[in-house]
Amino acid sequence: MLNQFIFIVDRILQAFYALRDNRLRSVLSIIGIAVGIAAVMAVGTVSKGGSYLVFSELETFGLNSVWVFRDRRDKDPNRLVRQGSGLDNYDLLALQNCCDAIERLSPVVMSRGNRMVIQTSNRYSNAQLYGVNADYTDINNDKISQGRAFREYDIKRNRAVALIGPTVVKDLFGEYTSPVGQEIRIGLRRFTVIGVIEEKSRDFLASIGSAGGQDANNRILIPYKLFQQMRGDKSINFLHLKAITLDDAPRASDQVINFLERRNGKNYQYTSQTMSTYIKTAQRILDGVAMIGVVAASISLFVGGLGIMNIMSTSVLERTREIGLRKAIGASKNDILFQFLMEAIIISTIGGVIGLTLGSVVSMALASVTGFPLTPSLLVIVIALAVSIVVGIASGYLPARRASQLHPVEALRYE
Amino acid sequence: MIELSNIVKAYQMGDVKVPVLNGIDLRIESGEFVAIMGPSGSGKTTLLNIIGCLDTIDQGEYKLSGKFVDTQDDAQMARVRSTHIGFVFQLFNLIPRISAERNVELPMIYANIPHQQRRERVRQALTKVGLTDRARHVPTQLSGGQQQRVAIARALVNHPDLLVADEPTGSLDSSTGREIMQMFRQLNEEGMTIIMVTHESDIAAYARRTVQLLDGRIQYDH
Ligand SMILES: Nc1ncnc2c1ncn2[C@@H]1O[C@H](COP(=O)(O)OP(=O)(O)OP(=O)(O)O)[C@@H](O)[C@H]1O
Ligand SMILES: [Mg+2]
Repeated sequence: MLNQFIFIVDRILQAFYALRDNRLRSVLSIIGIAVGIAAVMAVGTVSKGGSYLVFSELETFGLNSVWVFRDRRDKDPNRLVRQGSGLDNYDLLALQNCCDAIERLSPVVMSRGNRMVIQTSNRYSNAQLYGVNADYTDINNDKISQGRAFREYDIKRNRAVALIGPTVVKDLFGEYTSPVGQEIRIGLRRFTVIGVIEEKSRDFLASIGSAGGQDANNRILIPYKLFQQMRGDKSINFLHLKAITLDDAPRASDQVINFLERRNGKNYQYTSQTMSTYIKTAQRILDGVAMIGVVAASISLFVGGLGIMNIMSTSVLERTREIGLRKAIGASKNDILFQFLMEAIIISTIGGVIGLTLGSVVSMALASVTGFPLTPSLLVIVIALAVSIVVGIASGYLPARRASQLHPVEALRYE
Repeated sequence: MIELSNIVKAYQMGDVKVPVLNGIDLRIESGEFVAIMGPSGSGKTTLLNIIGCLDTIDQGEYKLSGKFVDTQDDAQMARVRSTHIGFVFQLFNLIPRISAERNVELPMIYANIPHQQRRERVRQALTKVGLTDRARHVPTQLSGGQQQRVAIARALVNHPDLLVADEPTGSLDSSTGREIMQMFRQLNEEGMTIIMVTHESDIAAYARRTVQLLDGRIQYDH
C-alpha cells in the first residue's frame, strides 16, 4: 500500500520535471486557470457576502414578521365609508390565542396629526413614536444594548417608561451620558428611559427601496395603552406579529385576516404584508449578480482549459521521441497517459491555488472597502480546487491519450 | 533464448505494402554477442525492434526465453521491455535537462523498484560505465561517448537478460566507438546477451557472430 503510494509519487514527479522544462508555456496556462478560479472565487464570495448582508438586514425586521392593517381600498363601493383604523383594544383581546400559526403579536400605535414634542431640558428629538406591548422587541428583532426591554407590568400598569434608539440617544443626551434612568418629556408627560435599542443597518435594503420607510435607529417605544391615553382614543394603527416559522407567515396572516373579517367584516376589510416579499426581491437581485459572475468565470476557465489543451498538444508533439524512449524502457500506455494527465492537472491545480490566493486577496480588499463580510469559505475553496482539477483532466485528456497511443517505433523515428 | 521463425513484416505506405522482413528464421542463445549487418533499408532496425519487443510482426512466431510473445499485446510487450530488455540507440535518446542519474533511474520507476534500491542501482550502473563523477550532469554537459555510457547504464539498470543496440557507435568517433565496444565485450564476457546493429565491419568484429541481411532476408550468418 505504502509502496503503491510511493510509486504514484514517483510518476507524479516525472510530470513535474517535464513541466519545469517547459516553463514559459506552463506559466501561461497557469495564468489562464488562475484568472478563471479567481473569478469563481469572486463570484462565490461576493454572492455569499451579499446574501449575508441582505439577510442580516432583513433579520433586523424579524424574518417571520407579518403586518396586518386595514385595507383602505374599499372593495364594495356601496358600503358606508367608515373612519378609523379598524383595529382596537377589544380586537386585540379577542385575538389572544386565536391562531396557531402565530408565536407573538403586538399592537402598534402611532402618532396622528401633529407630532408630540420630545425633549430633555434643552435638547429635542424628531424620533418616531411607537406604542407597543412587551412582545414587540422580540417580534421586530430589536436587541437592547443598555438597560432592559419592556416587561408585562410596564404595559399593564401604563408605566411611563421608554425604549429609545441610538439616534435618539445622540440627539437627547449626546454621546457621553448614559441615558438609562434619565427622564425625557414626550408631549406633556415625563418618561423614564429604561433601555436603548441596538443600532440597525439597513443601507442595502434602503438602496433597493425596501427599507420600510422609517429610520430604524430614530424610534422611541412606549407602552401602547399609555400612548392611546395621550392621543385620546383606543384605536390601534396596525398589528405586528411573528409567525412560528418563515413558512408559516402566509398562514398566520390568513388566520388573522379571517378572524378580523369575521369579527368586523361588516365595516372593514384587512390586508397584510410579510417579509417573504422582500426576501424574494433580494434573492432575485443576488441571483442575477451571481449569474453574471458564473458566466464570466466559466469563460475564463474555458479559455484557461483551451490554453492547457494547447500546451499539452504541443508538448506531446515536441516530446514524441521522449515518449517513444519512455515506452522503449518499459513505460506502459497507462504510465504515459498518467504522466501527461498529471502534467495537465498540476498546471491547473497550481493555477487554481494561485487563483484562490488572488481571489482571497481581492475579496479581502473588497471586504475592507465595503465592510461586506467577504471572507472566502472552505466550501468555496473546495469547489475552486475541484473545478481546476476537472478543467485539468478535461483539457489534458485528449493530448494525454494521443501520447499514450503513440507507437514506440514511430515515436522514436520522429525528427 | 531467442527463436524467430518465419517472421514477415511489411509497412503500409498509402496504398502499397512495402515488405521489410520476408521470412526471417533466427536462433540466438543466451550469452551470445551478435552483430546484425546489411545495407541501408535492408530491415536491420526493424528486426532489432521486433527482437526488443518494440514492434509488431505480421506473420511468424517469436519465442523469447521459451515463451511466445504476442506482439499485439501492448501491456505484455511493455512488461517484457521493462524487465527483460535494455535498449541502446544511435542518438542516445537521453531525456534532456534531467541529470544523468535521473535518466538512469527512469526504467526502474516504470518497473516499480522501491526508492532505496533505485539509488543503489543507479550508483552501481554508473560505476560500471565509469561515470560516477558525472552523475549530476545533464546530457548537454556530457560528450557523445559519455552520453552513450549513460544510456548503457540506463539499459543495464533493470538487470535485463538482453541488450539490444541500434548502431550504438554510429554517432561517435572511432576511438570512442572502440571504447563502447570494449564495454560491450566486457558485459558479454560477464554473461550478457547482446544483439547489435552496425554498418561498420570493424565494430561488428567485436561480436562473435554476424548476421547479414539483404532485402529482408538473412543472407548469411556466421
Ligand atoms: N514506419 C515506417 N513506414 C514505412 N516504411 C518504413 C517504416 N519504417 C521503416 N520503413 C521501411 O522499412 C525498410 C527497412 O527499414 P529499417 O529501418 O529496418 O532499415 P535499416 O536496415 O535499419 O536501415 P538503416 O541502415 O538506414 O538504418 C526501409 O525501406 C524503410 O523505408
Ligand atoms: Mg536502422
